[in-house]
Amino acid sequence: MRKLLTYFTFLLLLLLTACGGGEEPANESQGEENNTKNTEEVFKIGAIPDQNAAELSRSMGGVAEYLQEETGLTVEYVPSVDYAALVTAFERGEIHLAWFGGLTGVQAMSLVEDAEAIAQRPRDEEFHSVFIAQKELGLKGIEDIKGHSFTFGSESSTSGHLMPRYFLMENGIDAENDLDGAPNYSGSHDKTYKLVEAGTFQTGALNEAVWETAVAEGTVDTNKVEVFYETPAYYDYNWTINAVDPVFGEGTKDKVKEALLSMGEEQQEILDLFATDKFIETSNENYAAIEKVAKELGIIK
Amino acid sequence: MSAKPDFFRYYKKSYLTIILIGIFVWSLFAVQWNSDLIHAGGFVTIMQMLGALFQPDFSKEILELAIESTWITLSYAVAGMTLAFIIAFVLGVLASGILFGESRISILMKSFFRGLLGFLRAIHELVWAWIFVASFGLSPYAAIFALALPYGGILGRIFADMLTDVPKEPIEALNSTGASKFQVLLYGYLPMVKTNILSYTMYRFECSIRSSAIMSFVGLGGLGYQIQLSLDDLQYDEVWTFIYFLIAIVVLIDLWSSQLRNKLNAPSKHWFVPFSSILTVFLVAGSWGYVYFVDKASFLALFSQENLAYAKKFFAGMLGIGEENPAFLDRESWSNALLLTYDTLRMSIMAIGFSTIVMFLTVIPAARNVANGTLTLAPKWYSWISFGFIRLCYIFSRAIPELVWAMMIIFILKPGILPGAIALALHNFGILGKLCAEVIEDLDERPIRHLSSSGASKAQILMYGVIPSVLPQFLTYILYRWEVIMRTTIVVGFVGAGGLGQQFKLSMSFFHYTDLTLLLFCYLILVWISDYISEWARKTAR
Repeated sequence: MRKLLTYFTFLLLLLLTACGGGEEPANESQGEENNTKNTEEVFKIGAIPDQNAAELSRSMGGVAEYLQEETGLTVEYVPSVDYAALVTAFERGEIHLAWFGGLTGVQAMSLVEDAEAIAQRPRDEEFHSVFIAQKELGLKGIEDIKGHSFTFGSESSTSGHLMPRYFLMENGIDAENDLDGAPNYSGSHDKTYKLVEAGTFQTGALNEAVWETAVAEGTVDTNKVEVFYETPAYYDYNWTINAVDPVFGEGTKDKVKEALLSMGEEQQEILDLFATDKFIETSNENYAAIEKVAKELGIIK
Repeated sequence: MSAKPDFFRYYKKSYLTIILIGIFVWSLFAVQWNSDLIHAGGFVTIMQMLGALFQPDFSKEILELAIESTWITLSYAVAGMTLAFIIAFVLGVLASGILFGESRISILMKSFFRGLLGFLRAIHELVWAWIFVASFGLSPYAAIFALALPYGGILGRIFADMLTDVPKEPIEALNSTGASKFQVLLYGYLPMVKTNILSYTMYRFECSIRSSAIMSFVGLGGLGYQIQLSLDDLQYDEVWTFIYFLIAIVVLIDLWSSQLRNKLNAPSKHWFVPFSSILTVFLVAGSWGYVYFVDKASFLALFSQENLAYAKKFFAGMLGIGEENPAFLDRESWSNALLLTYDTLRMSIMAIGFSTIVMFLTVIPAARNVANGTLTLAPKWYSWISFGFIRLCYIFSRAIPELVWAMMIIFILKPGILPGAIALALHNFGILGKLCAEVIEDLDERPIRHLSSSGASKAQILMYGVIPSVLPQFLTYILYRWEVIMRTTIVVGFVGAGGLGQQFKLSMSFFHYTDLTLLLFCYLILVWISDYISEWARKTAR
């Protein structure tokens, strides 16, 4: 807002001092821009927008600050509006380190040859999705979902779409035909439980970690919404790093990985926002199963 | 001579009307009306939204955010329109053929440029935006170009028509003095079409604001982005604040443009015209300056080696180069896409049907000459109230883009083509209502007064007085809006309101590029077919 006001004052002055003055600042600012580009390459981190934007910029802002201290790089968090946009930015090398879900991670790895999953939370080795419903419906198991309205999260989400769809299929439920109308795609986990709570949809599926946080912080009314099914375990979220060594110098990847893995009590505030107490090592192979499921559902060809 | 052709000619308007109504009724069968369409929580959500409508969030923080986003939306629209104007002018002159002679090659050139304009126009700005984001990355220029191309196409075609329709005598006079082709353009054609060109550009400017607002759905800022974020957090009170700002700016621009159009066409100069010129210069300079200095978007950086490589990769992906089984060679994908195309067609017909019905129900009291009683000679005390109320609904309806309507409607109705059709109808009945009310206002009042004074009831006046004289004009507008709706069907699908657009969004998320090519192809065919049918029907109605 302040930026906008300064800009308008500048513009008015410019108009008052007639057109001649217009050329000079143009050149000046261009020079400035070139300078910043040459002197420092910014290490950009991103995250899939699976929760509300304010929350994400708090947690990712914390990580950016921490990484900057540990590695000496200039680190910046770049918000993203949808999952696919982040994958595209990663492919274009505009994002150097990303907090991906299982599916987006697999998409990124298939687009960028040297992309590598380096760290994840302990819980991501055994991640679950939860199916929630309005309490008054009294659903008991996954089969009961038939005939009710239902919403997934984002279509690119692992725990909000891919795995719930897979386990629906495993249980003999056709998501397109057995529910009340076609399933909706809410866009994020937060929105899924809010929509169920508000009564917009009767049932939904979302990320277990987001659900637990929502219950702990009281942002969801458990008198209205309850979990009626939890999926078996699968691998999910991870930090995936781009081919950064050619850009930032040899050893950058290891440095970043080391920094993430050594986060501990001192960084608890940031870790809390990720609902974990540490990050552990992971590798691309862990996600082979996700890739297989995605292929089976025709999401990856 | 048999009487048959005459008979047909006499009744062909009625035939056409019956056929169109039939098609609409047929489209309704696409929805299973027996099942409950509003899903279980729909009513709860409607009440929450309506409650927030009267209690928008006017906290300082939100207001500041709204002002800033309004400016971003406005500046992208202005920047886009400046480029669109240049594109339209150049291509319009070329497509009018006035620079070419009568040889075969010139005619070929002329149709080539006409086709090019048609192509630019056929693809919705949001689809262009998506293509530009894929090749340029998230730069404001992606939004600006995405606005410039389709608007360039729309304006260009009208410019070309205006240039062709210029009276021939002054041109011939210039020609006979030995003026070159460019001199004829400069001193013959341009002075004659200048006012019309400016009027039409101003008229389109209002639409471009709405288009600019929805650019956020590919990740570019502005009012649409804030609306989307607030909807994501289910903060309906914030949503309405941003929508009120959007309505305010659309109404302001509309007032400015209609005032200016009136003054431009007036014989004497008015202070409003130079004032508008200064305002325009300020807006154009301000917008480009903002994009350049504050957004720090460098124009030349767009054409870097890297971007070229990404663009290449993107188009190779679309063409399925190196892919084993591209979707457009796959039978199953085709049958799927054609099914969706069929759904989308029905969605568009339903949408125009709904908006036409609502328009007919409201248009009579919405006309100024009905409200003040000059038309019916029977002023009623409530006429002005209903006039004001309906006009307010029209403004509300058309100021909110289809996409935003769709985002709200999918909270209420079950996913499918019905929410898409309703969202499109909600946006279009306002436009249709306004256009048609103006037709009634321009009506010859004498026959109607006659009916009224001989004691005809309201319904009778409508049936025998108003409808016969306005129907051809109404039909033209309805068909014209149908073309526009067809183009927009893909966009409401992006947020889950069914049809080709929904599949398009899913394929985008899954990076299935060849599927996208196939869907785009089906979409283009649909747009072309609808243009063709609508043009044919309009000619018949005339």
